[in-house]
Amino acid sequence: MGISRREFLKYTAASSAFMAMGVPFAMAAGQNKQVDHWVKGVCRFCGTGCGVMVGVKNKKVVTVKGDPNNHNAGFLCLKGALMVPIIYAKERITQPLIRKNGKLTPASWDEAMELVVAKFKDAIAKYGVKSVGYYGSGQALTEETYLASKIFKAGLKCNNVEGNPRLCMASAVGGYVTTFGKDEPCGSYDDIDAATCLFIIGSNTSECHPILFKRIAARKQADPNVKIIVVDPRRTNTARIADMHVPFKPGTDLAILNGMAHVIVQEELDDYRFHSKYVTFMDNNKQKKTFEDYVKFLEDYTPEKVEQLSGVPADTTRKMAKIFAESSATMSLWCMGINQRIRGVWANNLISNLHLLTGHIGKPGATPFSLTGQPNACGGVRDTGGLCHMLPAGRLIKKKAHRNEMEKLWGLPQDSLNPKPGLHTIAMWSALAEGKLKALLVLCTNPAQSLPNLDKYRQGMARKDNFIALIETFSDAETVKYADVVLPPAYWCEREGVFGCSERRYALVGKAIDPPGQCKPTVNILVDFALRMGVDPKLVPYKNSADIWKEWRAVSRPTPYNFWGITRERLRRESGIRWPCPTEDHPGTRIRYVRGEDPNIPKDYKKKYFFYGKPDGRAVIWFRPYKGAAEEPDQTYPFVLTTGRVIDHWHTGTMTMKVPELRRSFPKAYVEVSTEDAKKMGIHNGDNVLLETRRDKMVFQARVSDVCRPGLVFVPWFDAHLLINKLTKDAIDKGSKQPEFKICATKVSKA
Amino acid sequence: MSSNADAATGKKMTKWLIIILLCLGAAAVMGYIYLQQAFPAVECTAAKHLESPDEAADCYACHLKATPKVAQDWYESKHGVMLVKCFVCHGQPDGKGSVPFAVDPDVNTTCRKCHDPSVNRMVEKYGLQPACNQCHPYHQNSLHHAAYVKPKAKKSID
Repeated sequence: MGISRREFLKYTAASSAFMAMGVPFAMAAGQNKQVDHWVKGVCRFCGTGCGVMVGVKNKKVVTVKGDPNNHNAGFLCLKGALMVPIIYAKERITQPLIRKNGKLTPASWDEAMELVVAKFKDAIAKYGVKSVGYYGSGQALTEETYLASKIFKAGLKCNNVEGNPRLCMASAVGGYVTTFGKDEPCGSYDDIDAATCLFIIGSNTSECHPILFKRIAARKQADPNVKIIVVDPRRTNTARIADMHVPFKPGTDLAILNGMAHVIVQEELDDYRFHSKYVTFMDNNKQKKTFEDYVKFLEDYTPEKVEQLSGVPADTTRKMAKIFAESSATMSLWCMGINQRIRGVWANNLISNLHLLTGHIGKPGATPFSLTGQPNACGGVRDTGGLCHMLPAGRLIKKKAHRNEMEKLWGLPQDSLNPKPGLHTIAMWSALAEGKLKALLVLCTNPAQSLPNLDKYRQGMARKDNFIALIETFSDAETVKYADVVLPPAYWCEREGVFGCSERRYALVGKAIDPPGQCKPTVNILVDFALRMGVDPKLVPYKNSADIWKEWRAVSRPTPYNFWGITRERLRRESGIRWPCPTEDHPGTRIRYVRGEDPNIPKDYKKKYFFYGKPDGRAVIWFRPYKGAAEEPDQTYPFVLTTGRVIDHWHTGTMTMKVPELRRSFPKAYVEVSTEDAKKMGIHNGDNVLLETRRDKMVFQARVSDVCRPGLVFVPWFDAHLLINKLTKDAIDKGSKQPEFKICATKVSKA
Repeated sequence: MSSNADAATGKKMTKWLIIILLCLGAAAVMGYIYLQQAFPAVECTAAKHLESPDEAADCYACHLKATPKVAQDWYESKHGVMLVKCFVCHGQPDGKGSVPFAVDPDVNTTCRKCHDPSVNRMVEKYGLQPACNQCHPYHQNSLHHAAYVKPKAKKSID
């Protein structure tokens, strides 16, 4: 070997330097090669409405990342981070399908649309416009819902326009409208960063709105003195960061909230100066009352009595009330636990009562804030009036002045709109089951899995004498089984449009890629439907969603909703703007009903607050008595069954089940049983457990844990193979018509 | 004389042979490292003995027994509190998911999904680093107790 030690070292050093160079080179190259360009959008899942950047390479979506300029500051939850495979799922429907001899077979657009229109025209000719309807979704674009609602209400003079937000948001709408006179929260997500007490009731924020939970946790971390109270019969992951977790007997929330108000007035923790100036007291019969009457009304709800009803110790109620009232800024957050109740509107009122009583409103960090479940329930359906009793921007069908205003804006003859509100969701699906509704257009939702008491409504869908046209992305959605025609829409980032999230923030979902096969944007499908139905072409002069957005801005302009300043150009530039926003240079509104913040209040208005939704400018504290659930547990059905989400899946799982990681994280539904109950019944983890309600029965695998309180069982509702909604009850709130998904009585036994 | 020349040529040839061999060796090592970077390990050992492959992404259930410290670290970390589960960064044991299996997740494809602004800020400050977790241990960033204890990161700032 004629090589010196020195030479050897030299060669080795050279080659290892070469090697070392290779590593960062590979990584830097990876970064450059990864993506051609980024398109700004909004996440497709929950109502948090996180900004998403969609990475496109060779005309394909390859990755996503959080939008640093939107409220989520670049963060995504696990569903958001893993959403790419959904776009390329093999279950995508890429051509129109028509049911022939019981089987869905491919057809041309022309053939499919002609069939839909023939069936709708036939139904209208034979049974009148009340025999047809539209069932939409809080996942459709704002433009899509506005257009569908306009086609049916203005074009066909049919008010049977509903949507799944009736199943999730209706009680919150009812609550805000009765208390403040106008729908939608007065605060925003910014309040989380300023709150010193977060009162979370009926919401598993951690799993249902993970990025908001992140913000709450960050607040707690920045200042450990911030108090977090979680009121929930289940000890969920949300309770992990809580100072107090208060479990209670499901259905007794009204008593607890009144009990807190009792403590607040008895211990004089109320803000008399605030409520004497800005609040009207009103009893259940809409009669004006005084503060003294309210104190008297609350005498029925002593913490001791609340303890008997709800199982919450009297001292706990006192402590909660004190923390709520004495904190410098309290923010309440609630979701389906409050809304999906037969007294959902009342429960919403009672939360707002606490804020009005203590003056925790209209200040940074102090607000009653309702969370939405879908990416565009607030935006698309509540604001544009996509429900059977509403017209765009908070107008009501039953009010003549509102109808006339819309007739003028839509260029219709005066008094030509149908003055009778249509069928609400449960009435609509009942009408279908009873054979009264003959033709239905369903958009972007999966009612065959999401309605309560499913057996009844699925029988209706299966009837041979009705017609269901479904605009749906995935062939394995339950509702496809019942559709007579399926029309393939462009999915999420395959067309442009606007989503509006829980905090009144509207943001643009940009178009990143072309839709596959024959899929087309829903806006174009709806315009095509309208023209074929013989609707005046002047009513639907739209080429794309941008045209509709322009009209929507004008329609909202004369109202406190005011979207005039939110132009398409601004939406392309900025990552979301909160309405009201009257001019192009207006930054959007953080806090409503406060002078200097809310552009609807004149700058020289004489007082700080102005609740302009009410004729006297005062918000209302309602006297809402305690009322239990529609179906309380008894000797035969001794357990309470509640349903909800897991973080890995969203809604009916048609999207999240397409992501291998998410599917295999929670492949199927299970029943969560408390350790105590499991011990009594000899149930172990993984055992089969039979749940039986008055409607149906089903077997689930048990997960024994201390999440549920004794007497309660929980089943998630994402699983299409174990449809828990066959067991849930379809009792509805008499005001909001929202069903009580959250509570029904059940038997539990080892199978 | 000729034998001397032969010996010299032979010596020269041996030298070149060693150089070539070393280069080849270096190339092989580089290639290996490149492959490691481009195609990370395809599976976790669990893939071989999974009881229920349907639930392969429920990593925590198994790792709580198999590697309790790692599982506990995750549970108490910020990622644990926010329920950013194992598969979001590490993929699935059999590597068959949409995220490639990786013990050390790639900065660009994984971390940047949520931490893009922070990664950009770090690159600006310290240049391109091979991995975030050299300074910021993923699992030991607790929400409750000694939050934001990142010894190495702190040192480098000074």
